[in-house]
Amino acid sequence: MTTELGMPTLGVLQTAAPHPLRLVLNWGRRYSLWVFNFGLACCAIEFIATSMARHDFIRFGVIPFAHGPRQADLMVTSGTVSDKMAPALRRLWEQMAEPKYVISFGACSNSGGPYWDSYCVTKGVDQIIPVDVYVPGCPPRPEALLQAIVKLQEKIADENLRDRYTRRAPGVGALTRGLVHGSPTGTVTVSAPSAASGQAPGSADTPRSSS
Amino acid sequence: MTGRTGRRRIGIGTGLVQGLIVTAKTMLRPSHTDEYPDVRPSLPSRSRGVIGLVQENCTSCGLCARECPDWCIQIEAHKETLPAVAGGRARQRNVLDSFTIDFSLCMYCGICVEVCPFDALIWSSEFEYAEYDIVDLTHDRGRLSQWAATAPPPPPADPAAVEPKEVGAARKALERAAKKAAAPRTAPAGASPAAKKAAAAEKAAAVKKAVPVEKAVPVERQATEPPEERGTGARGEADS
Repeated sequence: MTTELGMPTLGVLQTAAPHPLRLVLNWGRRYSLWVFNFGLACCAIEFIATSMARHDFIRFGVIPFAHGPRQADLMVTSGTVSDKMAPALRRLWEQMAEPKYVISFGACSNSGGPYWDSYCVTKGVDQIIPVDVYVPGCPPRPEALLQAIVKLQEKIADENLRDRYTRRAPGVGALTRGLVHGSPTGTVTVSAPSAASGQAPGSADTPRSSS
Repeated sequence: MTGRTGRRRIGIGTGLVQGLIVTAKTMLRPSHTDEYPDVRPSLPSRSRGVIGLVQENCTSCGLCARECPDWCIQIEAHKETLPAVAGGRARQRNVLDSFTIDFSLCMYCGICVEVCPFDALIWSSEFEYAEYDIVDLTHDRGRLSQWAATAPPPPPADPAAVEPKEVGAARKALERAAKKAAAPRTAPAGASPAAKKAAAAEKAAAVKKAVPVEKAVPVERQATEPPEERGTGARGEADS
């Protein structure tokens, strides 16, 4: 199911913001991420563990007290999204105000995980909403979520909102493109990155994969 | 709220004072928050962070891919015929072409690590590999080898534990060799049984000394880590 939505529009301040102003805006944005936990399964427990005193992601400015999606900047999808739940997930994501970010937390939410063969499980939330950072694990450690948050903050620090909204079409599933970068036998082909492929800027070449 | 019965007298500010006492006590207690990005958590040496691949040990038998409940392992291999050596026949062996684990799908059950007959898969406790793109969560064999280099050594065995089989076998082989070497030297000289015993004890002591050295470095890691690979692994870790 892919719904074609219009591109979100930006205010004049955002569009015409010169570089230093953009840095300031990004700086403010990255350290005040009001988070909204879409917790559906055991990964939600790890999210809760991360929010408690031992790991305490408020240290990073991630504030878990958003009243609802309308007040949130970041959505953490943790758990198995069933097809029944998927419309609600999409709806809550649509209610969030721009600019909004999504962390997909755990195997189920990345790609369906152990339930990828099930008749009723959504095979990855990126089929219905665009995801910024994927956290692997089943469930991931709380520290893995903290690392993902740091990574998201790095992304926010570098980003240009105009690029973000012109390059990315919302709601394009990952299944519309190749799943593997390349295979030595050439049996798996990778579709060329297009405007609709949901590629985040700089995501094609991460430091680890290049090393 | 003074009780009508007069048994419990609660002043107006009592709750506030009690709350402040709790606050003051908590304030004086040291914080137990982990400083994660600055201080890495101390994880047990076999915690399930990521699966590493020791390519040299892999025979591409495909057991891991078959046993994986998620089917997240993909192996491609081909057969290679080695030329016959003198007096033998040509032999075939498998050559690994690609080995990928899709960590966006993996459920970290460890069945692949358990079933691997040659210990080519190994748990590493690294967990910092969140990605911007889901395609990057499919790790190829180069990256999996880097993970293998980060796998911590196994915890030391309990001093009272039963001796591991391979260590016992090595010790027995050494003892046998020592006996063989000692027998022709002592027999023609016609030495007394006491001297014989002393020589045997000396050999046993030497063997015992030799064994812990072997224990300290796991055999498969010793054999499979070229130094330059370890270097890149460490660099990769520093990047994250």
